[in-house]
Amino acid sequence: MYDFDWSSIPGALPFLWDGMKISLEITVTAVIFGIVWGTLLAMLRLSPVKPLAWFAAGYVNLFRSIPLVMVLLWFFLIVPQLLRSFFNLDPNTDVRLTSAMIGFALFESAYYSEIIRAGIQSVPKGQVAAASALGMSYSQAMRLVVLPQAFRNMVPLLLTQAIVLFQDTSLVYMSALADFFGAAYKVGDRDGRLVELLLFAGVVYFLICFAASQLVRRYQKKLNAHVAH
Amino acid sequence: MISIDNVSKHYGSFQVLTDCTTQVKKGEVIVVCGPSGSGKSTLIKCVNGLEPFQAGAITVDGISVGDPKTNLSKLRSRVGMVFQHFELFPHMSITDNLSIAQEKVLGRSKDEARAKGLKLLERVGLKAHAEKFPGQLSGGQQQRVAIARALCMDPICMLFDEPTSALDPEMINEVLDVMVELAQEGMTMMCVTHEMGFARKVANRVIFMDKGLIVEDDSKDAFFGAPRSERARQFLAKILQH
Repeated sequence: MYDFDWSSIPGALPFLWDGMKISLEITVTAVIFGIVWGTLLAMLRLSPVKPLAWFAAGYVNLFRSIPLVMVLLWFFLIVPQLLRSFFNLDPNTDVRLTSAMIGFALFESAYYSEIIRAGIQSVPKGQVAAASALGMSYSQAMRLVVLPQAFRNMVPLLLTQAIVLFQDTSLVYMSALADFFGAAYKVGDRDGRLVELLLFAGVVYFLICFAASQLVRRYQKKLNAHVAH
Repeated sequence: MISIDNVSKHYGSFQVLTDCTTQVKKGEVIVVCGPSGSGKSTLIKCVNGLEPFQAGAITVDGISVGDPKTNLSKLRSRVGMVFQHFELFPHMSITDNLSIAQEKVLGRSKDEARAKGLKLLERVGLKAHAEKFPGQLSGGQQQRVAIARALCMDPICMLFDEPTSALDPEMINEVLDVMVELAQEGMTMMCVTHEMGFARKVANRVIFMDKGLIVEDDSKDAFFGAPRSERARQFLAKILQH
């Protein structure tokens, strides 16, 4: 039987908390950027201007067909060089966090755009007709009538995607960036208590994601009750 | 006011409208009827450019709808339209439904738009519901709000696309009453409807369509008295049976 020794965890908590902050930072930036860029992509994809629609479809399909690990790896290898040369940074500046944020944001926006596209399409066509009949331009109809309704329908899916994203941020460990998972791994490795630390990290991920899922589910029930006629 | 001149429209090889020609003068009330799939809704949606057409011309108040140089949004803001399924904006209160286009399209102030909205809401008998959401109103009430929303824009004419066909029977009259009142006040109206009682009461002319063609375009007395085509006679017999 394996002898568990949890003693290295209490002392490592501040370090692990710093890691958690990095995980959350990446998640929040990627969610915000992903929703903004994803909304634009969704609108381009639904645009009657074919080249715009093709560009958006190409972008979405490309990112959805490549494993996240590979996308992140490319970003870790390429983006730091670009950032350094564009902004004339000191070669020693740590841009791993920025690269991770950009990588996740670009990757996640492909997924968000599909959720948002479905949300836009879930709004009845008559709503656009009614907005147009009142003299609204296409962009006014989108902004004032379609998107607010689309987002209300999509909130549960967007949050669920955010939970998946939060779990996926653990992949940044390969750039040796100390996110929560990376921090746990480092501590475990240092103290020779990898099993305990990884179990502990797993439990923390589970608690956060499970609690968040429950909240989303409750919100969805409330939403359904509200929308039902 | 509205002039429709040899308008044709097709979806691929399917001909929806064929050489439709008619005029609506200022203050006239025209009822458009016909079996489903006859193109009557499509025709009325061509009038404010919600449906494009391939041939012919439509002008509203002298402005060509089909001309790519026409500012369609501006033209539409002057043409009121009421839809079969109301199409109120479900995420906004009734007041906001009435104000939003006044503010964003006509540039009226918030207070001005709100005051105008309440005035028209009172006119359709729904002032007490100003702060509710569309989902909290009955179908008939929603359609009356939709009429008020269109009237808020001070339209030069009104288009009605089967305004009562999605309503429960007991709610049809409250909507028709509003429309009759509007007609009697001299509003120029083009109404796609099967409500022949409404047509008898206020229509100046009745247009009967079948398979994308305008088969009859006559005064209501001539139409109800002695329809010229066999197809219209059959249609009337069916619709007036009950």
